Amino acid sequence: MNPHSMSFADQYLRYPDLFPARVGGEPCGPEALALDLPGGAHLFSGLTAEQRSGVERRFGPLCRPPAPGESGPWTRLFRAPDDDFLVIDTRGWEYALDLDPAPEGVRVAGLNLMARLDWPAAGAGDAGGAAGAVGASLRAGLWTCEDEGELFAPVLENLLRAAYAYRLAAMGGALIHSAGVVFDGRAFLLTGPSGAGKTTAASLCLAQGGSVLSDDLNALRAAPGEGGAAGAFQVEKLPFTGDLGETGTAGGRWPLAAVVRLRKGEADAVRPLTPGAAFAALLASAPIVNRDPYRREPLLATLEEVALTVPAYELTFRLGAGLRSILAALPT
Amino acid sequence: MSDITPATVLRKRSDVRYRRVAGEAVVLRQSTAEVLVLNELAGDILDLVDGERSVGGWIERLSGEYAVERPTLERDLLDFAAELMEAGLVEPVEGANAPLEGG
Repeated sequence: MNPHSMSFADQYLRYPDLFPARVGGEPCGPEALALDLPGGAHLFSGLTAEQRSGVERRFGPLCRPPAPGESGPWTRLFRAPDDDFLVIDTRGWEYALDLDPAPEGVRVAGLNLMARLDWPAAGAGDAGGAAGAVGASLRAGLWTCEDEGELFAPVLENLLRAAYAYRLAAMGGALIHSAGVVFDGRAFLLTGPSGAGKTTAASLCLAQGGSVLSDDLNALRAAPGEGGAAGAFQVEKLPFTGDLGETGTAGGRWPLAAVVRLRKGEADAVRPLTPGAAFAALLASAPIVNRDPYRREPLLATLEEVALTVPAYELTFRLGAGLRSILAALPT
Repeated sequence: MSDITPATVLRKRSDVRYRRVAGEAVVLRQSTAEVLVLNELAGDILDLVDGERSVGGWIERLSGEYAVERPTLERDLLDFAAELMEAGLVEPVEGANAPLEGG
């Protein structure tokens, strides 16, 4: 099945034409929670107690009740019938949200979810003007049939990943599909397409005394008060993990020493990437926002700055070599 | 075998965006999120793909800038145009076969 040959939401929804036109509907329940992320909390309302418990089990201490009058990006939960969603055989399947960016907002379809990401304060059709307002003003709607907590948590997480990608971009950062590893207080973002060896490299890093932030998604952010200076970008741990799962690394920020594009090969080899190639590697690894022509400009500006100021390399390696010594030897 | 001739007029496909980073052209295909990096010369050529100028116009424009025999330049540009087509970055403008500039 080639998703590019299909219309929006065809692969997930039985009735794509009935996609909600605005954020509204029957709430799943009366519960609310705040989920603390770098840059500020994301707020959720309209959950059932079971859904809230599932999210709390998934995200643990990052969850708390919203404070009275607390503001921030907000997602309201609404009930949708089971019949709205197609049953998908997920064996051997690589999951990707279906996105439909438009000037007024973004429609999202996925496994047992429909969602709208709207930024009411943003200027419709004005990509540059919308950028500054994308972050905190998000008012999203999530429609799902998933009531059981353990099954609901991934539904919420998948939407949260997309919403957070926009938020980070608007804050001058980027969500990067990567293994974020730390040796001796220096962070490296290991990028590459699926199968390039990110999770394996992250495992090697752990075995060689390093720390792993996430083997899937990491936050790239400008260092506070140092915008524009070389080495002024940091990598921050997010609660979004891949196959490796949670590694127990404490939350925090580390200076970004280098971006490393991974390739599997028969022998270890390192070559520097030009700024253009580094920019391309980062852009290809910046999910969700890299496909949105209306809200992509802040992301492009950030990634260009990273490409021009942070060393970048292509590492061909044998998945078993001394990753630590290779990274330690990189000029940064 | 490419059908591109010096009279062919090409335009960037609607889902193609590109950005110059330290001289290189980084090309993004919107529909697939594929990213390609072109060197500075290739970026200069991509700048000439405007939906109005023919490939022959590229030849006229670049022949004064590079110390290359004109037949060689023409062959290289036709080959490059074919590569851009094959990569899905450009498409011909229907019915727009322009005469060579200055010819």
